[in-house]
Amino acid sequence: MTTLLNNINPSIKAITVVISVCLLTFVFDPFTPLVYCILTILLTFLFGKVAWKIYLVYFLVICLLSIGMLWTAVAFADEPNNPQLTMQFLFWELPKENVTVALSLTFRMLAFAALSFMFIFTTNMVHFILSLMQQCKLPPKLAYGILAGYRFLPLMRDELQQIRAAHQVRGVNRASSLKETIQQYKRYAIPLLAGAIRKAERTAIAMESKGFSGERIVPFIGSIGLLLSIGFF
Amino acid sequence: MIHVNELSLWFEGHEQPIISKLSFYLNAGETMLLLGPSGSGKSTLTCCLNGIYPRELDGIMEGKVHVFDKNVQATKPGEISKHVGVVFQDPESQFCMLTVEDEIAFGLENINTPREKIAAKIDEALHLVHLKEYREATIQSLSGGQKQKLALSCVLALEPDFVILDEPTANLDPFAKQEFIQAMKNIQQEKKIGLIVIEHQLEDWVSFIQRACILSGQGQCIFDGSLTEAITKNAPLLQSLGIALPPITELVLNASANKQASFTSIPLTYSNFSTHVSYLDQECLDQPTARNQNTNTVLEAHHLNLAKNKRQILQQITCTLQQPSFIAITGANGSGKTSLTRLLAGIEPPSTGYIYVNHRLLKHWKPKELRQQIGYVFQNPEHQFITDSVFEEIAYTLRLRAYSEATIKEKVFHTLESCQLQGMEHRHPYTLSQGQKRRLSVATMIVDEQSILFLDEPTFGQDAASNRELMRLLKEQYKNGTTIIMVTHDMDIVDQYADRVIVLANGQIVIDETPDRLWERPCLNKWHLNYPTRIKLKRHMEGPHDYIAK
Repeated sequence: MTTLLNNINPSIKAITVVISVCLLTFVFDPFTPLVYCILTILLTFLFGKVAWKIYLVYFLVICLLSIGMLWTAVAFADEPNNPQLTMQFLFWELPKENVTVALSLTFRMLAFAALSFMFIFTTNMVHFILSLMQQCKLPPKLAYGILAGYRFLPLMRDELQQIRAAHQVRGVNRASSLKETIQQYKRYAIPLLAGAIRKAERTAIAMESKGFSGERIVPFIGSIGLLLSIGFF
Repeated sequence: MIHVNELSLWFEGHEQPIISKLSFYLNAGETMLLLGPSGSGKSTLTCCLNGIYPRELDGIMEGKVHVFDKNVQATKPGEISKHVGVVFQDPESQFCMLTVEDEIAFGLENINTPREKIAAKIDEALHLVHLKEYREATIQSLSGGQKQKLALSCVLALEPDFVILDEPTANLDPFAKQEFIQAMKNIQQEKKIGLIVIEHQLEDWVSFIQRACILSGQGQCIFDGSLTEAITKNAPLLQSLGIALPPITELVLNASANKQASFTSIPLTYSNFSTHVSYLDQECLDQPTARNQNTNTVLEAHHLNLAKNKRQILQQITCTLQQPSFIAITGANGSGKTSLTRLLAGIEPPSTGYIYVNHRLLKHWKPKELRQQIGYVFQNPEHQFITDSVFEEIAYTLRLRAYSEATIKEKVFHTLESCQLQGMEHRHPYTLSQGQKRRLSVATMIVDEQSILFLDEPTFGQDAASNRELMRLLKEQYKNGTTIIMVTHDMDIVDQYADRVIVLANGQIVIDETPDRLWERPCLNKWHLNYPTRIKLKRHMEGPHDYIAK
């Protein structure tokens, strides 16, 4: 297995995915999205290094959703223009038109999912943000801000758990009604925000002490073959 | 060199300046301790020295700060960082990237290091702090000590002329702390970097830093010169300000106040001690406290296991807690100390195993009744505050019990008094000082006369005066029959207060005995512990000195 997909410049990859998604929305037959979907999955597995177990789980969820969607699209379809034209679908006799629309919608969704997964599973978050900054002129202040914030997410989750436990020890009851729940979250919000603001301030000071000024810089790890990736796509 | 001239600084909305007419001069390659009680403007000064203030300051700054003839106020953002680097106290909030390598590269990119040189510089910086094999690791996977070393190496990669360390070891276990200081010492001596160290615990720093600049609570410089001289002249003043002296100095001073020691010059280190101290009464080195008789079992734990995300955090923990007792739980960073106390206090359920409180299974207690038995003081006191005033904060638990207003008032004032918080009942909890916040969180946990009190590193990040207050309060509680279980890294506290010590390593109890017995064991290093001052000194006086971890 190669890691070609993982090495493509993430911005280019993102743009390709967005363009493919846009193009797919103009296709109304069921086969193009199906082929597209299969191709994307093949591509992901052949040219990308993917945590396939997680990939399968996520894809399974999407498959279940799409089956639901297929059913709703068939069951709640508009009155068909040609009710005479029917086809055998699983065990039912259904208007062909409805089935085609439903199938194309479902496959389109699957294709979207496959494309997004290809992007998510083969892209390093840090590289993506850095490449956005390099190629798409995202201001460094914002880019590094996002990166620092990304680091904060698990910390904030831990802190929320801490605060919840701390309040329980104080004898605050578990909320039973919606009103109480809202009030409880209000109470969590103050220490959580106070902590977050303080942490953000400290991180900002630490970043500036490392010479960060918000000016454009050339990241050392962003040197990813741009031409190669354009050619490939 | 760094030249600070008549520096004063006011924060928006404050009448009193946080720093007042401060002047000092630091030569290239010189080292200095910056001491002062909490709130004396030490961290604020750090921001003035690396150019963050006045640019990011909400307030007024007067006076001049020059770094190598550059006026700091007039430089562009990021420019001073090539000269002055800072390592901060909190290991969690000073990184903005996900991996070790990216984090060091971040600083190098900022100062426009040519791309082909970056890789070599990263290697060199990691080599200095012995983290070379972690180059590609995620920052999250590092221990606290490693994170602080990484922060240091990020700063060193920029090759600054001065490094400021703002309480870099406050979060570390004794072993990691010693390692960090040793690494810093070697680097300083090799590279001749100028160093400003802000610390509450001076013990290992004084072996290579002599100069001390001491700030008062009002941000004035009250002394600038050798630390020995400062202590000789002003020891009582320093102690009353809440500035911690090296433990050995404190011990000799106390002994000499009782006419049990005489010295030619006050010792700061163990090698000083041999040359300067002519006489020290053995009595000072004997066990200081009398122990309570405890027979009544209040809490039992049987075969506790805790696993999270497939990682085993605690294994086969079995222990019994008697009333009253003062138990210290200690061990390396990440050995499961906090997790254990959380299980025992019923905050989190164990994966398997049983806990009995007063011979009744923990699960069978109603939360409300359990909280009347067990109090828990979290590491961050702010997490526990739920009301808008100190009075209401303490009264909250009492109101849940539906006491009459008169009783509540009486109990609250009694508690305020015992926690030294008189006159603050109308303040908002968030506006208190760090030490006061901690005492308030203890107050909320003892007002209901709970018989078991857990504390998670209660002395962390406070100055000496606040710690003395807190420990006095806990001692009082213990005398009145409370069982106190305290997570701590401070071996002197274990030695002075605890009647039992539990050592954890990799989620297992490896030692459970009296502190005296623990000190008799050789090489506590393997559990990342150290000996208390009393024992170190005792052995130092007896002969071969190799037990002091090098």
